[in-house]
Amino acid sequence: MNTEKYEVFIGLEIHIHLKTESKMFCSCRARYGDDPNTNVCPVCLGYPGTLPQVNKKAMELGYLVARALGCRLSMRTGFARKNYFYPDMPKNYQISQFENPVGVEGLMKADLGESGTRDIRIHDVHLEEDAGKMIHAGDVTLLDFNRAGYPLLEIVTEPDLKSGEETEAFLRDFQRLVRYLGVSDGNMDEGSMKCDANISINLRGKGLGTKVEIKNMNSPRFVRLAMNYEAERQAGVLDSGGELVQETRLWNENRDITETMRRKEAADDYRYFPEPDIPPFEPDEAFLSRVEQRMVELPLAKKRRLTAEYDITPEQAEFIHDEAGTAALFEEAVSLGAKARTIAAWLSSDIRKVLNRQGIALTESPLNAARLAELIGLIDEGLISGKIAKNVLDEVFARNEDPKKIVEDEGWSQITDPKILTEAIRVVFASHPDVVEAVRNGEAKQRGWLMGQIMKATDGKASPDIAGRILDEELKG
Amino acid sequence: MARAQDEWSLTAELARLKLDETEALRLADEAEKMRELFQTMSRADVEGLEPTTHALVRENRIREDDVSGFDHVGDLLDASPETEDEFFLIPNVL
Amino acid sequence: MPVYAEDWRGVLADPALCKIYADGVEKIDERIGSFLSFNAADSESAIGGKGSLDGIPVAVKDNIAVKGRPLTCGSKILENLIAPYTATAVERLQAAGASVVGKTNLDEFGMGSSTEHSALGKTVNPWDFDRVPGGSSGGSAAAVAAGLVPLALGSDTGGSVRQPASFCGIYGLKPTYGTVSRYGLTAYASSLEVIGAMSADIDLLQKAFTVMSAGKDERDQSSVDSDPPGSGEKRIKVLDIPEGVLDSAVAEAYADAAKALSEAGYTVESFALPSYDLVVPAYYTIATAEASANLARFNGIRYGYAPDYAENPVELMKLARHEGFGDEVKLRILLGTYVLRSGFQDQYYGRAQKVRTLIRKQLADLFQSADLLLMPVFPTQAFLYGDDGMDDYRQRVADVFTCLANLAGLPALSVPTGLSKGLPTGIQLMAPAFAEERLFAAARSLSKIYMPQLAPCALNPRSFS
Ligand SMILES: [Mg+2]
Ligand SMILES: [Zn+2]
Repeated sequence: MNTEKYEVFIGLEIHIHLKTESKMFCSCRARYGDDPNTNVCPVCLGYPGTLPQVNKKAMELGYLVARALGCRLSMRTGFARKNYFYPDMPKNYQISQFENPVGVEGLMKADLGESGTRDIRIHDVHLEEDAGKMIHAGDVTLLDFNRAGYPLLEIVTEPDLKSGEETEAFLRDFQRLVRYLGVSDGNMDEGSMKCDANISINLRGKGLGTKVEIKNMNSPRFVRLAMNYEAERQAGVLDSGGELVQETRLWNENRDITETMRRKEAADDYRYFPEPDIPPFEPDEAFLSRVEQRMVELPLAKKRRLTAEYDITPEQAEFIHDEAGTAALFEEAVSLGAKARTIAAWLSSDIRKVLNRQGIALTESPLNAARLAELIGLIDEGLISGKIAKNVLDEVFARNEDPKKIVEDEGWSQITDPKILTEAIRVVFASHPDVVEAVRNGEAKQRGWLMGQIMKATDGKASPDIAGRILDEELKG
Repeated sequence: MARAQDEWSLTAELARLKLDETEALRLADEAEKMRELFQTMSRADVEGLEPTTHALVRENRIREDDVSGFDHVGDLLDASPETEDEFFLIPNVL
Repeated sequence: MPVYAEDWRGVLADPALCKIYADGVEKIDERIGSFLSFNAADSESAIGGKGSLDGIPVAVKDNIAVKGRPLTCGSKILENLIAPYTATAVERLQAAGASVVGKTNLDEFGMGSSTEHSALGKTVNPWDFDRVPGGSSGGSAAAVAAGLVPLALGSDTGGSVRQPASFCGIYGLKPTYGTVSRYGLTAYASSLEVIGAMSADIDLLQKAFTVMSAGKDERDQSSVDSDPPGSGEKRIKVLDIPEGVLDSAVAEAYADAAKALSEAGYTVESFALPSYDLVVPAYYTIATAEASANLARFNGIRYGYAPDYAENPVELMKLARHEGFGDEVKLRILLGTYVLRSGFQDQYYGRAQKVRTLIRKQLADLFQSADLLLMPVFPTQAFLYGDDGMDDYRQRVADVFTCLANLAGLPALSVPTGLSKGLPTGIQLMAPAFAEERLFAAARSLSKIYMPQLAPCALNPRSFS
């Protein structure tokens, strides 16, 4: 696509499942994976006579996200009925918010990769309920209503994103934000987060074009691919003198293209009106202070502060801030006296590898800040080598014990006694007189080989510093 | 009148009402009469008035996030015209 | 024949009396048709604790859920539905000792003023079997007037308790919106309606109200704690009615009642409602709009009627609704959908909600200098069945006096005022929010002149033993 000629406008409608125990409007358990139609009751099955009962926690989490996104918070929020028929929606209207959502007119500061940091405008943040699940099986469809009534928060951005890359970066920042806040898992593949996009292109300076809605993108990566595909497609239509139609298209992840789902029709009319069953809610001071208490330092701010405050590289900061738990562990370990850069190095390489291998999160692992600081302390004090340290790390995970105890139990502390090391070096010299001769004759490269032999002879426990010093003295002879 | 008919059949579609021809005519006729009655509201002076959407609102009403399951889930499934195993069943959505 | 709640205590608890009772109901109701289902011996409904309603049999309109009993709403679409839970109002009555004995007929989903719109049965007026019992809670009113129960529940969206009560010569209470939980009441127009009660015994009616309105319900977030403003000063304002609006018998009863209240020590003044002409349009706009959403859930999937075959889900829903709903319901869904459509919503639904504000303001102004308002219930007495009666359009327009209270959320009581030409007449009293006590007090004053009576065909519990 000719980016000189065209400008791309992408806005998102992001739905997240809120982390509550019960559903949005009834006391059924809000949980995945249970047997079909077990977490249901007359309310969430839309029985005649039942009424919705608003979940307080969902309300708090809704306000929390609105607050974190810098929205103007509604001092009188209300629900509305969004009317449309669908087999998986028990009441055939969705209780959502329309006129007075929990928050409007926010800004999310996001790191958009190559585009740098930018404020993306948030149109509104509103609460609503999820529908059930349809499972298509041949000529029938099976309905499971466990998910019906699950609390959802929808975040609508203004069309401020300009490319697939920006959109993907924004989504990753957004996922991090909701995880930091603890309001949602934010997993697109597991369905706890969904993202639909509106995309239009137009000649530069001409404002928004004809809006096309894209659905069925199940990861931030697919969103990027879909946006870039769609921008190209739309540019192609315009370049060939065609006209774009307002429609909904689906991302086909097997073919990497978008396909028409349906055209916008006159029959699309949600007939929103205020939900008479739910009185307006006016957050009082106690409510707002509970929301405030849930506020945390947001990811981008944290990344900037970590970079500024500690001697670590931008890449390390990127990794450390990705999960709030990692950042917390990092800062605690620093406060316990370990060197920031060493902690960062361990976190972003060896520890990450172990976690990936075991498939667990750092916060759920046996490694805590005290153990990490202790491990690094052992290295800094020269009690263990970096190589041994990796074994110790493995054992911390395997045994759930402190590094010092492991080193003691295993007898893994470094050999620093010059007498023992001199002894070992002399044995190596006796076994390889030719190599010793060569080094003495200026073949410096072979010195490393000798060090290796010394390590081998000491089961890797020789202190490299001290052994090296003694080796050099012995070589001088 | 033909236009009015169209409006009512589009409305019926939105409401998922299937009306056969005589029914459509009869209902559209009756609906037109009511619509004309509704139109008398255009004469009302409601300048500056807020709409009343809730009859009486006194305080915030909100529920604690506690789980209490429904004891007779099986009855709910049994009430369905068509089920398969633990699922409600409908013809395929194609 | 005055009937007291006391006559009923002990009937249900004694199997022999209960049998006589059930047989009596069967015999009378064969002609009246008030019940859609009846089971007096059902222990599940007699779980009641001991309380102010101990031993009282209650009939419940069949759009209110009672666990284990049908919940048909008078509609083919719910003909086979058994309620899986019990309405809060009913639970409270049961906890006070009352027992549900049956479910009563109604205009389908409460949409009508004659009970002619029930898909499941015909109910006649116990005073004249050629006439309607009124509606939509016609079955409940008829059951009380025919002595089949001393107390019945109805729902009042635009007069559905007060008008049939008046047609059948008994008291009908529409409480303040929110004082009685709607949990378990099949929704027709959520912001307007409330569960109400009917009885020929004003004390029993008040007891039932007190039990049902005892504090807000967690399951109905639109419910409220009652907050009575006090008994007031006995100032009544009487609505001026233009000549020709009321039938002569109704007009006469209306004038007599005003006089009777004046003689009972009330100061009586007249008033005009400036927005009188806007009441019915605003009411029906809002009621149908809410109904269009409330009735969307009936689609043949999770419960209720489903067609034998449908090719796809859209057809399944359309056929279920086509075959399951009656004409009046379809009409109101159609109207309600229309007034909410984009492009029309501001002009109809939005405007109606503002008119509603206007009407509420005017009523609030009136209550600045009045403690009660006196109004007719309906322009006519019970009318004849079918084509000799009143057409649907005129019935809707005639809701003007009753639906006013629903638009404003205020309590109102229809009070029987004796007979004219062999048929009951009645009037309506309206009070400020939570001032039900004033309604009961005024009704007691009037009962000294107009002792409520049951229909000549009525069952008499004193005859059981
Ligand atoms: Mg949404
Ligand atoms: Zn539920």
